[in-house]
Amino acid sequence: MDPSSLNTAELQHFLNQEKERAMMNEMVAKLTSVCWDKCITSTPGSKFSSGESACLSNCAQRYLDLTLIIMKRFQSMQ
Amino acid sequence: MDPSSVDSAEVQRFLIQEKEKAMMNEMVAKLTSVCWDKCITSTPGSKFSSGESACLSNCGQRYLDLSLIIMKRIQSMQ
Repeated sequence: MDPSSLNTAELQHFLNQEKERAMMNEMVAKLTSVCWDKCITSTPGSKFSSGESACLSNCAQRYLDLTLIIMKRFQSMQ
Repeated sequence: MDPSSVDSAEVQRFLIQEKEKAMMNEMVAKLTSVCWDKCITSTPGSKFSSGESACLSNCGQRYLDLSLIIMKRIQSMQ
């Protein structure tokens, strides 16, 4: 982005990209934290147990599902 | 970075480096907090016990593993 040509469209595009990147990073951090707390309940081992792996996989998917459900609910309220 | 020669590529590179530094600092803080809570469950001693050391090592590695798994999962959704 060349600051000397801060036209609206270019700036908007840049901001939108940055916002999306920030949201993605936030989601990754949140999912990691939530599912770690939910699924890693004993002393961490040298690798994830099969139970832990299954839990982590389900956890991530369900949390994303929920995010989508909530988003749609809000959108339908507008 | 010389502010008087703020060209696009230089600003971009600076921003990317700063973002990376910030993300690394955040991860360090998060890992320290998570693995402290997970592994230091009794009164802290004059050094980490071997059990605590093993737990801390595994914890750090597993959390990073999980972070990477989640990142790939979210990226594959795009």
